[in-house]
Amino acid sequence: MLGRLERSYDVVVVGGGPAGMGAALGARDSGTGRVLILDREPDPGGILLQCVHSGFGLHYFKEELTGPEYAERFFTKTIDRDIDVVPDCYVSGIAVDSDGSKRVRVMSAAAGLRAVQARSVVLAMGCRERTRGAIRIPGTRPAGVLTAGLAQKLVNMKGCLPGKRIVILGSGDIGLIMARRLTLEGCEVLGVFEVMPYSNGLTRNVVQCLEDFGIPLHLSTTVAYIHGRDRVEKVTVAPVGPDFRPDMSRARDIPCDTLLLSIGLIPENELSQSLGIKLDEITGGPEVSSTLETSMPGVYACGNVLHVHDLVDFVTNEALLAGRFAGERAQGIRRPADNIRIDAGDNVRYCVPHTLSPEREHTIYMRCKRAMKPCRLRVGNLLEKKLRFVVPAEMIMLKIQPDLLEKFQGDSLRIDIVPESEGESGV
Amino acid sequence: MSETVKLVCIMCPMGCPLQLEHEGSELREVTGHDCNRGAKYARQEFTDPRRGLSTTVAIAGARWSRLPVKASRPVRKEQVREAARRIHALRVQAPVRCGQVLLKDLLGEAGLDVVATRSMDRAAKETPASS
Ligand code: SF4
Repeated sequence: MLGRLERSYDVVVVGGGPAGMGAALGARDSGTGRVLILDREPDPGGILLQCVHSGFGLHYFKEELTGPEYAERFFTKTIDRDIDVVPDCYVSGIAVDSDGSKRVRVMSAAAGLRAVQARSVVLAMGCRERTRGAIRIPGTRPAGVLTAGLAQKLVNMKGCLPGKRIVILGSGDIGLIMARRLTLEGCEVLGVFEVMPYSNGLTRNVVQCLEDFGIPLHLSTTVAYIHGRDRVEKVTVAPVGPDFRPDMSRARDIPCDTLLLSIGLIPENELSQSLGIKLDEITGGPEVSSTLETSMPGVYACGNVLHVHDLVDFVTNEALLAGRFAGERAQGIRRPADNIRIDAGDNVRYCVPHTLSPEREHTIYMRCKRAMKPCRLRVGNLLEKKLRFVVPAEMIMLKIQPDLLEKFQGDSLRIDIVPESEGESGV
Repeated sequence: MSETVKLVCIMCPMGCPLQLEHEGSELREVTGHDCNRGAKYARQEFTDPRRGLSTTVAIAGARWSRLPVKASRPVRKEQVREAARRIHALRVQAPVRCGQVLLKDLLGEAGLDVVATRSMDRAAKETPASS
């Protein structure tokens, strides 16, 4: 039901995007009674509601859906499962009582300031976009510089175009998708500029969003200066050397009225930090055990607040799991503590979760540092898997069976991605 | 005389560079693919390239001013812009249900429909700005 806010719940989920809805459903699946989703937007669904393009759900629903369709299917499930959803509200803090239960402080448009009691809490706040400040683009501060995701919301939900002549910095998927969206809306997209020598988005998006529309992609090039007093008038672009510094001797100006930034995402962890939850420096999200519990007992995390995903289907699976364990804990079920730590080794940027238990099957999500093909994924001396390729833009998912871990004696398990030619002797 | 077209396979992130050798409209040989999906993609792109199309239309009476929609099946590549223009001319009124057909036979192609990809209820009566 939408809008009701009771005094106490078994599980309270912060955030109503795909992670939050998945976690709430996972909690109900575990047999837990009362589950609440708190969301700051007027409608649950999170970022999916503005992602009107398709490409969602191929793994989970085995069909290709648009973002709003994926969101609506999950929202319908939350209604069917009697999950309370309160929109238009904000969680301003969480306090822990002496018995370990949590008091969630909620500011809501309808109910004012309220405290809600929770046995378990799931953090599902998602992520936000890096802005101009994160890469310190020199120049003036005119209107017309905005992140690609904000432009996406303006165009797809509010029906406002951000400008007419558009330059995009960063080749992340949102930037590529916005290049196509804005072109179809009648804007002129003058080019996408990427500081790295390769695109950060999927090849599919480079082909279908840029090449199909004749939009040029300039690699190893950046925006070196923003001009304009009230409104963007032009940007200076320049190729970069191996040190990523712009070579101003080869700079040129592009007259435009808008600069969109698609330069990366950061997990939104202010609430987690205010609780003193331990964060992983590399993912920017909480460190979690194999039950997706953070360093604060009874507080779980999933989705983009934990680490930035590229597929919503993986978010859903992770969230269902976090919700299940949060729900179990609310019912007093305690799983044995993890006793194996995962170390990210060669060409592995990070792994989530951070620890494992031999008690059950695990799914480990990881990212590589650089592209490699073909290669082998090596898990300590337990397992070796051939992979045709790895690329940083695509998360790697690995399932580990309990019988494998039972044989394991040590307390830390190292995961490496090595070239095909190495590691023949491993197993 | 045979000619060559170069494509990048988009079926998976490996992005194999494909080469299509053809004589006129006849495809002779595909090379460069690492698996069969690549060969299939090349053939499809050569004979009848199509693209999924999703966009938004104006909606009145809902909380948001745009309603997300999609073409019920892929549109011929060279018709994407024209299809988007036709869809933009649509005006709809809340409430709308996800999956509802808003326009039939887009571009005169039987079975190519424009469907809503989100449900939108009628918005509660607007509160005066001063309150
Ligand atoms: S040919 Fe096969 S391996 Fe290569 S990009 Fe296409 S689908 Fe991937």
